[in-house]
Amino acid sequence: MGMLKEEDKQYIREQFEGKLVGQVKILLFTQKLECEYCQPTEEILKELSELSELLTLDVHNLQIDSEDAKQYNIDKVPAIILLDEKDKDYGIRFFGIPSGYEFSSLLADIIDVSNGASDLAQELVAKIAGIQEPVDIKVFVTPTCPYCPGAVRAAHKIAIANPGMIKAQMIESTEFPHLANKYAVYGVPKTVINERVQFEGAMPDQAVVEQVLAAIQVTDS
Amino acid sequence: MEFSFSVSAPTKVDLAETYDLVIIGGGPTGLTAAIYASRAKLKTLVVEKGAPGGLVTTTEWIENYPGFPEGVAGPELGRAMQEQAQRFGTEIFKGQPENINLTSNPKEMTLGGKKVTVRAVIIATGTKPRKLNIPGEAELSGRGVSYCATCDGPFFAGKELVAVGAGNSGVQESIFLLKYATRITIVEYLPTIQAEKILVERFNSTGKGSFLLNHEVLSIEGSDKVTGVKVRDRVSGAETLIPCAGVFVWIGLVPQTDEFKDILKLDKWGYVEVDSELRTNIEGVWAAGDVISGATRQIAAAVGSGVTAAMSVEHKLSQQS
Ligand SMILES: Cc1cc2nc3c(=O)[nH]c(=O)nc-3n(C[C@H](O)[C@H](O)[C@H](O)COP(=O)(O)OP(=O)(O)OC[C@H]3O[C@@H](n4cnc5c(N)ncnc54)[C@H](O)[C@@H]3O)c2cc1C
Repeated sequence: MGMLKEEDKQYIREQFEGKLVGQVKILLFTQKLECEYCQPTEEILKELSELSELLTLDVHNLQIDSEDAKQYNIDKVPAIILLDEKDKDYGIRFFGIPSGYEFSSLLADIIDVSNGASDLAQELVAKIAGIQEPVDIKVFVTPTCPYCPGAVRAAHKIAIANPGMIKAQMIESTEFPHLANKYAVYGVPKTVINERVQFEGAMPDQAVVEQVLAAIQVTDS
Repeated sequence: MEFSFSVSAPTKVDLAETYDLVIIGGGPTGLTAAIYASRAKLKTLVVEKGAPGGLVTTTEWIENYPGFPEGVAGPELGRAMQEQAQRFGTEIFKGQPENINLTSNPKEMTLGGKKVTVRAVIIATGTKPRKLNIPGEAELSGRGVSYCATCDGPFFAGKELVAVGAGNSGVQESIFLLKYATRITIVEYLPTIQAEKILVERFNSTGKGSFLLNHEVLSIEGSDKVTGVKVRDRVSGAETLIPCAGVFVWIGLVPQTDEFKDILKLDKWGYVEVDSELRTNIEGVWAAGDVISGATRQIAAAVGSGVTAAMSVEHKLSQQS
């Protein structure tokens, strides 16, 4: 039995058919030992990538392909990266299995990368595109949190608007308890920007953009 | 290990310039209204700022919604309602409407920077958790203070918790939290337990939970995370500190009507006043579900309310065209 229900596959196929434009390459980093969630993540991505001809899946090993891991800044697994047909990295990262509500974040991200743009309002895109220093956004989630995709998507849409500078990571808290601990995560979604600015809860896109801008100012001063 | 995969996040919609009906709020009420309106061939848009499915998505298991003899997972029910609406042509926009003008004709609002005009609006914005408004609550929110068991439960594996409120939600969600937590004390202001007996029995049978009745919660303690809750015995006046790693609050709900309070007629608690067809005081604006005055605030009731509003909208619009 597959991981996705037949009716869900059908629904995703239709979505992809209508909305995918260019090719999307899904990169997955895994390892064989001591990674409980690597195998199921690989399985679900394999099923997913079979739902459109525009999707490919490349599986890398964190140790064996350490050069690639370094290039994409991957230090833990499972890790997912989305590239477009020209191998452009949009700064989107998923650390941990994108299950539960986060699977829907992944679907939406794939569509955005395929289009090279998200539905982030034009004026916000303009603000983000002007950023000229590195921004790191971490969004801590649990798969059973209905509000979390809102926060993950906001961060990923912001990365898409300026992928050269911005990296936005979804982090599945239960798989990386040491990180959840380090960042004092007891409630999700929790967003941490440049290790400085942090906030709990899902906020409208505009508010998240303001937090990103605030984080840069903090870093500057 | 078992995984579920939600495929239902509304992805990018290409908004039209005009809709017959915009439903603000995509909980059970809004989605049901959307099913009826779409089947009646009204061009229908649901606007949802959080998670489609509404409050239902924050509860693990629902046992009193008819048609599911074994019960149904909250997220599953929410998602099924959403898919059913989309199947008949409902579009779902993720976000919050801005610059809403309910009194103009047609009505107007901005969605993601785009202006949209509409013939009819249903307000189905439901409620949000009531806060305790005591010291420590806001400061420690997300640091051990939570209102969503399915979201934050996993952070309390092997820990002791306090839940506030012995109503149905408080007891039911506490049973769920005991999947993770080792002990839960439910603190209740009133001298009696409000929850259904069947839930109380189930909670008691875990052997890991207890009630503390007739106690007022004074403050939530902790500097960077919750370490305890201070309570006062309402009879003796004695104050005690219950050590715990987290506090979950279920002391009722407040309507999400702030942005309409200057336009719509609300009751003294902020719920929208409607007539028997769920029309508000503004022509062309309906309200339904948990957000209306005197609502039963259960899913089955919310769903029924959504139907009533959609049928009334359809009737009205068919007279106009
Ligand atoms: C913990 C808990 C457990 C429960 N268990 C049960 C149960 O077992 N059985 C049962 O029958 N009922 C249960 N209920 C009650 C049930 O969830 C509600 O009756 C039902 O969800 C009401 O539906 P609604 O659509 O009217 O409102 P909601 O479910 O509250 O949905 C309203 C939606 O509107 C959205 N919204 C609000 N404002 C805006 C805005 N400005 N723009 C865009 N979107 C907006 C919100 O994000 C929300 O998704 C439970 C409730 C809670 C809190």
